[in-house]
Amino acid sequence: MSTAVLIDEPSGVAQETSCFHCGQSLPNGQAWTVTIAGIHRPVCCPGCQAVAQAIAGHGLADYYSERDALPAALPDGLADAALRLCDEAVDTGEAVLSVDGLRCAACVWLIEKHLAHLPGVASCNMNVATGRLQVRWQPDRCKLSDILLALREIGYAVYPFDAAAQEARMQRAAKNLFRRLFVAGLSMMQVMMYAAPAYFSGSDAPDPGEAVLLRWASFILTLPAVVYSARPFFAGAWNSLKQRALGMDVPVALGIAAAFLASAAATLLGRGEVYFDSVSMFIFLLLCSRYLELSARRKASSALSALTRALPSSAERLPEYPQSRHSETVAAASLAAGDTILVKPGEAIPADGILLEGDAAIDVSLLTGESEPQRKDIGDTLPGGAVNQWQPLVLRVVHPVADSTLAALVRLAERAGQAKPRIAQWADRVAAGFVACLLMFTLAVFAYWQMTDPERAWPIAIAVLVVSCPCALSLATPAALAAATDALMRRGVLVLRPHVLETLHRATHVVFDKTGTLTVGTPGVTHIVTACPKDEERCLRVACALEASSAHPLAMAIANAARQCGLPGEPAADAHHIAGQGVEGTVDGIGYRIGNMAFVGGLCGVACPWEDDGILTSVYLGTASRWLARFDIADALRQEAGKTVARFLAEGKTVILLSGDRPEAVRRIAASLGIAHAWGNYLPEQKLAFVQALQRQGAIVAMAGDGINDAAVLRAADVSFAMGSGAALAQAQADAVLLSGRIDGMQEAAATAAKTMAVIRQNLAWSVLYNALAIPAAAFGWLNPWMSAVGMSLSSAVVVLNALRLLPTCRGKVGMGGMVEQIHTLNQPSHPHPNPPPTRGREHAGRTSSSSYSIGAR
Amino acid sequence: MTQVNDFHGPDFYPDLNLLSLFRGEVVDTALQYNYKVVKQFAIAAVIWGVVGMLVGVYIAAELAWPALNFDTAWLSYGRIRPLHTNAVIFAFGGCALFATSYYVVQRTCQVRLFSDQLAAFTFWGWQAVIVAAAVTLPLGITRGKEYAELEWPIALLIAVVWVSYAIVFFGTLVKRKVPHIYVANWFFGGFILAVALLHVVNAAVIPVSLTKSYSLYAGVQDAMVQWWYGHNAVGFFLTAGFLGMMYYFIPKQAGRPVYSYRLSIVHFWALIFTYMWAGPHHLHYTALPDWTQSLGMVFSLILLAPSWGGMINGIMTLSGAWEKLRSDPILKFLIVSLSFYGMSTFEGPMMSIKTVNALSHYTDWTIGHVHSGALGWVGFITMGSLYYLIPRLSGKTEMWSVKLIDLHFWVATIGIVLYIAAMWIAGVMQGLMWRAVNSDGTLTYTFVEAVKATYPYYVIRFCGGLLYLSGMVIMAWNVFMTVCMSRPANLRIVTPVAITPAA
Amino acid sequence: MEALYLLVPLSVLIVFIAIWIFFRMSDSGQFDDMVGPALRILQDDDGNHPDPFDSGQ
Repeated sequence: MSTAVLIDEPSGVAQETSCFHCGQSLPNGQAWTVTIAGIHRPVCCPGCQAVAQAIAGHGLADYYSERDALPAALPDGLADAALRLCDEAVDTGEAVLSVDGLRCAACVWLIEKHLAHLPGVASCNMNVATGRLQVRWQPDRCKLSDILLALREIGYAVYPFDAAAQEARMQRAAKNLFRRLFVAGLSMMQVMMYAAPAYFSGSDAPDPGEAVLLRWASFILTLPAVVYSARPFFAGAWNSLKQRALGMDVPVALGIAAAFLASAAATLLGRGEVYFDSVSMFIFLLLCSRYLELSARRKASSALSALTRALPSSAERLPEYPQSRHSETVAAASLAAGDTILVKPGEAIPADGILLEGDAAIDVSLLTGESEPQRKDIGDTLPGGAVNQWQPLVLRVVHPVADSTLAALVRLAERAGQAKPRIAQWADRVAAGFVACLLMFTLAVFAYWQMTDPERAWPIAIAVLVVSCPCALSLATPAALAAATDALMRRGVLVLRPHVLETLHRATHVVFDKTGTLTVGTPGVTHIVTACPKDEERCLRVACALEASSAHPLAMAIANAARQCGLPGEPAADAHHIAGQGVEGTVDGIGYRIGNMAFVGGLCGVACPWEDDGILTSVYLGTASRWLARFDIADALRQEAGKTVARFLAEGKTVILLSGDRPEAVRRIAASLGIAHAWGNYLPEQKLAFVQALQRQGAIVAMAGDGINDAAVLRAADVSFAMGSGAALAQAQADAVLLSGRIDGMQEAAATAAKTMAVIRQNLAWSVLYNALAIPAAAFGWLNPWMSAVGMSLSSAVVVLNALRLLPTCRGKVGMGGMVEQIHTLNQPSHPHPNPPPTRGREHAGRTSSSSYSIGAR
Repeated sequence: MTQVNDFHGPDFYPDLNLLSLFRGEVVDTALQYNYKVVKQFAIAAVIWGVVGMLVGVYIAAELAWPALNFDTAWLSYGRIRPLHTNAVIFAFGGCALFATSYYVVQRTCQVRLFSDQLAAFTFWGWQAVIVAAAVTLPLGITRGKEYAELEWPIALLIAVVWVSYAIVFFGTLVKRKVPHIYVANWFFGGFILAVALLHVVNAAVIPVSLTKSYSLYAGVQDAMVQWWYGHNAVGFFLTAGFLGMMYYFIPKQAGRPVYSYRLSIVHFWALIFTYMWAGPHHLHYTALPDWTQSLGMVFSLILLAPSWGGMINGIMTLSGAWEKLRSDPILKFLIVSLSFYGMSTFEGPMMSIKTVNALSHYTDWTIGHVHSGALGWVGFITMGSLYYLIPRLSGKTEMWSVKLIDLHFWVATIGIVLYIAAMWIAGVMQGLMWRAVNSDGTLTYTFVEAVKATYPYYVIRFCGGLLYLSGMVIMAWNVFMTVCMSRPANLRIVTPVAITPAA
Repeated sequence: MEALYLLVPLSVLIVFIAIWIFFRMSDSGQFDDMVGPALRILQDDDGNHPDPFDSGQ
């Protein structure tokens, strides 16, 4: 029914310019098609073609007419062998899966319909809000792997749902809180109805018998709220008292208890005031604030959980390595330190491992955002989650998957979300002091009124207890921090330690590393100068052939440049390296040397026609008696570096550049960025000493580095940002990781820090003002309990809502797929490639005498 | 896995398929929905709609031209007004609720009704109740309580039918194949339970003969119970039940999901628990204690919030697809019904404020308010839902004439506008005239003068009602022509996941 | 207002029944997915699809 056809021209194909399945633009020249309902539709790649064929083949082509959003990128998914592993793990016929890639209603329809076709599937239930798919099947007729494969076939990535994860815990907590909120709300509405008549006066007032009936009704209806809904407050108060601290829950619990018991006594004895409406209203409104705060924290936590999906669930173990290459598929979770594993090209590395065999180039884009493959040598540690690009690799597992870099990172970040930063701890201490004073004040007020007007003593004491609101401290501050952390997470900044925001805000000095931080980190060819005109391609090809087997960064730059020009890369047959000098070899029968000026000059025998400007690194190519070309290689500045530095300078912070590179290069970069203080040739110990000296003078130092060499300095700095390359993650010494690979993540963090501190200050100011006015008012007897309840709850809501202003405003995606997709999009570098290929720059004016091309790369 | 219905041409079936509804037929159960009882109720709703509105037009004419009672007891206004209210609320509205609730519960639970026999009993039992009402009320056999006029034998029958209804509905929910209970079913379920409770409490009587009984409550207590029943009848029968209709048929007709499903759940619970104590607003400035009246006023005002929440939820379902309103008359009915719902649920709380009520009580403003809710909200949502339902029950894709639906809409809308405008003006005028006092404290106007002044508005109201009735007649014609040439409907239950191997 | 002695306890009882119903529903997961059900009713195809060989209405 569907054909895989390469069609050059659009005859017979619907006139479309984008892929029928995924909406991306069609590649030039080639097209694959799918026939749906008799019409040929172009698709952009064999992957989309396969998915579209599957959808049409199962009679689900309605998906295309019903959908209102384009599908997610095709999943890499689990290898078929790995899927079989799932069958061993789950054979009960029931499982809960997490589905990524949900986009719209049609996706839900597609998944459920497609599963309905599978023999043996008993039921499937998709929870659209959370992305969970609950499947039941008959184990003798169908296996879990069949289900996973079927879903992958139509383009959805499905993972086992980990109920122990943070996310699931928070969901259960939210469900519980929602139930308490419901009961409290119901109680409040009903009790308000029965309590309202008591406020009517005169002819409106109910007569005594009716009043008694209404009181009893109020009493019975308040019971659920106090006994069930308010339990978190009582539990929290009890916990804090056990720890000899006075938390915010203490006055709340006291207020509720006092008001309820007094009202109950009044109802039973038949005299005195009742405050059931205040109690239920108070409980409801407070729970609302708690619910808002929990929602903010849940959002932050769910984005994190998505990161753990980067790790594959199966691995190929080589149990008899090195004697035999026999491999077995095992669950990744069962890998232990010392196991040897095989990672094929295109697969993700299941756990951190040391490279034993293979020429490794790995894609760490999920972890860092850089999609340029990183070359690794034998003996290097490769991080779990990175994708192997070139050759099969053999690795020795360093630690089990649960301890892998990625998992450890996520755990750290989760703990950071729960841990209390210093400002929150300070807030708690102040709150405790406040509560202590409040309790004593309440006693004093009670005593006073007991002597002057005993009837009012109790209600006034309750009013004072209830109206006080230290919520800005204990409730809104964590909410603000959670919201800010979540906002940063979505912009690619992973906060690992709780103090990041407040410390960054107070930092006085900002220290940058150069290579890999302000610059891209991988050198690229910026300039090719040749002796003969129009010779660049040939020289590049020769150079690439010579450098092909070298792992040196300069060699890689040349290889990259050649690849981008589309030049073939057969290596030279007899290339041999001379360390520190260059490579000598034969290409097409002619002997060449490539390397530094002295080395190449040794073959050429004549003087070099070009001068070394001493700033850029130059690699020369020559043959016997002739210089052929000079390749200028530089590490391009990150595009956003200038803006970031400018912002910090504008804030009045001192910006310093410390690098281990040559001083001339460092000065050049510093000059272009406007950094006044720059030093080169700094070894890591010297950087550490520098920072410590600054700190001794009272400076607060923020540091940004790429982690490989800077671990100690990153740890010593007051707040540090790691650019996130594989090794940095392994060390996790930094306080925050710029997952997006963009240095302006620091700028984002600084901006967010400023906003967060502002919000916290606003909340504190409001809280001070409110308490200063409300507590005396209650003490004087101007506020009755229900007004206090309303006041306190409103104040609490104000500060929490103010804190929630920090939340990111992006919306729209269905379920969890949206979260993961955002992480993935974050990690695609959105700037154009930092080292564009050397171009035939006819449009560039100003050439040197010999033909040379200037590449507009910075 | 598409179901295959063999479509035979029109020559296969006799011309009048209505008869098939009343023949006993062997139906292949368990794999098919029970459309028979749905169709019965739907057609009954249309018929009783015409009847009830005809009676309404007649009594409107009687108010303008009293000679129309021909001095005959069973044609007099006092006797047949309750016939009108019962016919439109319980016959027209009731049958529509039965039809739509049976349809929605089956389709959202993907299962056939719990018991075909019990469902058939509810149909025939309900028709018996209606016929009994049509006979007893003009004969003057009445309890005198608004919307609860039917004497105790009929009230007993209502209770029995209602219990059966509850068993069928909740039994179907228990039988369901879909784990989640769609929100419309919550509204239907709440309406069924609440009406059962209200009916039982308010119909507590001491019978003295087959045609006469005395209320268990006396005096102002009876009034309190009556209007606890009365307003909750409006709230649950005429609001919650039809909101259930709204939450299903608007998304289906618009092809878009409800704007906020979460809000619809909140809407349900909020509505359920605020309606309970709004009843006293019917009894302002009566012998009811002042505090009860004040309580009724406060909670009527609070009711505004959940009501408007529901209205916004329904209307915003169309957000992003407003142009469908231009071309689809069924959607016009459904969405405009929500506007009238919003209007009535604003007007109602305003009128429950004591000072406003002091002007409006006993005037025609109350009638205007009732009819904006009844004609605008209840009528339109029913019509829209039936226009959706009937083609599907008859194996068609749409009604016999879509243009007639459009005509119906405009005719009915103009009718409503005339009606309520006339009644507003009349009501305010009456209130002002009744309370106008001279400087010496005497009343300025006699009662009769106020009546005379109202005459032109009664005529306009009559015209409005006549237009609305014409619209209903157009609908009946359209329905008749649609149902006439019925084909097999798509009533095979498509289970969500195959239990047997896929074809 | 003796009627209240009937109506008020009745209403209180209804509230507790409602709470019980709510908890039963919450336990059975009725409130877990607040997005899916709205989409699902749209997937239920209750239309009658015209027979291509049919001559007329």
